[in-house]
Amino acid sequence: MVLSQPHTQLSETNPASSHDLELVDICKYYGPLMVLDQINLNVKAGEFVAIMGPSGCGKTTLLRVIAGLEGVSQGHVLLRGQDITGLPVNKRNTPLVWQSFALFPHLNVRQNIAFGLTLTRHIKAEVQQRVQEAAVMLNLEPLLDRRISQLSGGQKQRVAIARALVTKPNILLLDEPMSALDPHLRIRMQGELKRLQQALSISFFYVTHNQNEAFSMADKVVVMNQGRIEQIGTPSDIYNAPATHFVAEFVGNNNLFEGEVVEINNQTIQIRCAQGLIQAPYRDRPHQIGERVTVVVPADRMVIASTGPIENSIQATLRAREFIGSQVIYYLETSTGQEIKLIQQQSLNESLNVPINADLQLSWKVESTILLGERSVDAP
Amino acid sequence: MANSIPLSKPSSNLQTKTPNESSLLRWICLAPAVIYDSLLFLLPLIFLIWIGFWTVDNYRLVPGFSLSNYIDIFQQFFSKSRYAYAILQSLWVSSTATFLTVLFCYPFAMAIAFVVPVRLQRLAILLAIAPFWSSYILRLYAWQTLLNKEGLINSFLQTLHLINQPIEIVFTQIGTRIGLIHYLAPIMILILYLALQNVDRSLLSAAQNLGATRWQVFWRVLLPLTRPGIVYAAVFGMIISLGDVLSGIILGGGTGKSIFGSLPLFASMILNEYAASTNLPRTSALATILIVIMVLILFAGTKFSQSNQ
Amino acid sequence: MAIQKKQGSDRLLALAGWAYLLLGFGFLLLPIFALVLFSFEDSRLPTLPWTGWTLKWYNFLLSDGRLLEALKNSLIVSPLAAAAATVIGFFAAYALNRFEFWGKKFLSILLIVPILIPPLIMGVAFLGLLSRVNLQGQLLSVFLTHVVILIPTAIALITIRLAQMPSDIEQAAWNLGASEWQALFRVVLPWSIPGIAGAWLLSFTFSFDEFVIAWFVSGFQPTLPVAIYSFMAFNLDPSLNAIGTIIFALSILLLVGVELLLIPLLLENRSNSKQA
Repeated sequence: MVLSQPHTQLSETNPASSHDLELVDICKYYGPLMVLDQINLNVKAGEFVAIMGPSGCGKTTLLRVIAGLEGVSQGHVLLRGQDITGLPVNKRNTPLVWQSFALFPHLNVRQNIAFGLTLTRHIKAEVQQRVQEAAVMLNLEPLLDRRISQLSGGQKQRVAIARALVTKPNILLLDEPMSALDPHLRIRMQGELKRLQQALSISFFYVTHNQNEAFSMADKVVVMNQGRIEQIGTPSDIYNAPATHFVAEFVGNNNLFEGEVVEINNQTIQIRCAQGLIQAPYRDRPHQIGERVTVVVPADRMVIASTGPIENSIQATLRAREFIGSQVIYYLETSTGQEIKLIQQQSLNESLNVPINADLQLSWKVESTILLGERSVDAP
Repeated sequence: MANSIPLSKPSSNLQTKTPNESSLLRWICLAPAVIYDSLLFLLPLIFLIWIGFWTVDNYRLVPGFSLSNYIDIFQQFFSKSRYAYAILQSLWVSSTATFLTVLFCYPFAMAIAFVVPVRLQRLAILLAIAPFWSSYILRLYAWQTLLNKEGLINSFLQTLHLINQPIEIVFTQIGTRIGLIHYLAPIMILILYLALQNVDRSLLSAAQNLGATRWQVFWRVLLPLTRPGIVYAAVFGMIISLGDVLSGIILGGGTGKSIFGSLPLFASMILNEYAASTNLPRTSALATILIVIMVLILFAGTKFSQSNQ
Repeated sequence: MAIQKKQGSDRLLALAGWAYLLLGFGFLLLPIFALVLFSFEDSRLPTLPWTGWTLKWYNFLLSDGRLLEALKNSLIVSPLAAAAATVIGFFAAYALNRFEFWGKKFLSILLIVPILIPPLIMGVAFLGLLSRVNLQGQLLSVFLTHVVILIPTAIALITIRLAQMPSDIEQAAWNLGASEWQALFRVVLPWSIPGIAGAWLLSFTFSFDEFVIAWFVSGFQPTLPVAIYSFMAFNLDPSLNAIGTIIFALSILLLVGVELLLIPLLLENRSNSKQA
């Protein structure tokens, strides 16, 4: 009864809260299985947060927990400072943009957008106006009287977003909204979504398994695996400084080598790997001689070089190559059988100079090497 | 494996929280059906069995517990009313009619599924089930006018000098079977067509690729794959024809001739006995016996299909 | 050579298939043709050669009134029974489709089983109960009993439709603020309309054609099949063909409805998934 109009209430009672959403120590288990394991996460007002991870990592479950479509075993969900953990799904105003769009097939575009407004006592003219606003925002005006079955994938998605925004939520939840779209449409929608989010200055909670989407739109990226948060950071943090073995493998195009620390001085650390000695810059991470570590080298930092200053290098045999736009991806294999990926900005002709099965020397700078300590390696 | 199920299907209804977890919605939705069926389905059935033990005195029902109906029925099992023979006749006519219907419908459904172009299949199915949407009793009447001695079929055959004497079909159990087959065929064609549609076509071409002849593909791939549909259709046909009264009366003439002689069907007999006597307790006892027979057949049917799998 | 031979036998097989279909359709549709045709024939005996066209059997039907009265009874009771069964069936199908609960399996069997019990048995059983509470022998009795045997049909057809509903859209309604009842009436119900319409149509047809139960319980207000049955005991004349033709014309109207609603529901499941 008190909660009949949650969004106005919430924003009025806690206008000062700088966080749109706080997840406090959220755990969820089905029997012995941990689906969500101690999730702590804040979404600042107006922040675009992308949750990224492989399928089954719990990211969609987390989204459904926030929406109230699933319960938690412990922990709290706070919306604008107010605890909504026990609030039923229809009292939360946490609208969701579904992967399948979940538009109502029997209603036209206008009625779909208006749905959330017509569930309580309402004034027709006001509904009309709010629908109009949402339609303008998403370029849907000419489509308002269309049937859902007459829409293209991209149009459906815009309707789904308009339908969710029409109740003026503080936070918009998006569940892999691009996965049903054509690739070229995805790129365009990314720009549009970001523009929309900034224009509305509300926070977006965006679940995806696609790192391009996460990196191009988000202010903050959260990488999840097996129900846990692996790393939280800006896109460049995550990309340039993966904190864990999992993140290094999942994000970007990284090559990983296992090795042991053999020497430490105040500039570099020497690691012995199966492929030879590798140097890494000494950062403020404490490492010890004899420690097992993982060496991470981004694929686009390696070069095929027979000349020039060589700081780190290994030998590998070229097995295949792939052209993507102006990029060439080389697939190589070391003598120990490890696969290596190397990305280079190169023209097709240039790259063809290197024959398949050629033995090559790959090199990279010391500062491009990232070291991950033993504690960050996933327990088997 | 069991552990991974909740992960891959987090949206399963079991875990989904609804707007009101403790709402009465489900019970309110189920209540009308449950109450209605309890009052007007379970109660009458229990009543039926109970009334079988009542008696009639001076045209009035006398509640009680008397075995007299059953004693009387079983005394007349082989004499006078000869219920046993009627039951035998019923089983014989229904099983042969069901068998013939499957025999007629399976190739028919196959022809629709494999010969008719896809865009016309729907029309073909619609035509096939058309008889079902006209009145059953009037279809039987139409068959009667078509099949009787002066009927269209006999006069046609005589004009062609294929026969000299009109064939007797009406008022024999052959007539009953024609009525039953015509009644069962539309639904059976639909069931078998759906079963055939569900067969993966690539399996058939794969079998042919492996060198199987058409016969082998039919006997060793198509038939086994559609077996559940056939069993389903046969059980359905058996239940309907055992309980049917109209075909036996209108086309079978009540006591139509079969290889067992001129005997009525059990179901028609129950109806006619009630029409003549309005003795509800006795009719209820007879209906109870019919229930027992059906349960036995269903039981045997499930046993049969299980032992074969 | 081998390929040609195979094509030849393919063609032969297709030809045999078409021939069989032709014969089969002949068998299935023959009585309906005869019914319509002979309702316009002059002679009392429906035989060849053709004796002439007439409408006198329709006149006869109109002047007699017994069958028309029964037709009226049927047209009152069948649509209502179908509607009641469809409403009850929709709610039951929704609950069975959405919820898991103890005893669900037993309940689904209980709700489906009335259609498996021969109407003869149900007819006797209904009469036994209804005569104890003095509800026998009226149109109301037919209504009450027909609803029982129509509920399973309605549940089955509406369940087919509900099973095709993406569970997302009901959850999406909750997510946008709808209560369970609002989601039920504003999302699930509109989604189920084709199933509901199909269920009503099929239920109506079952009820309209049902003989045995109506024979036991209808008494002095016979439905059409019951009236035809008693009519046949005394007069076998082409006015039966005439009423048959009228019913068939009604059926064609129904069939259009079926073509538009029921068949797509049963068959299109597959083609939809192909498109997806």
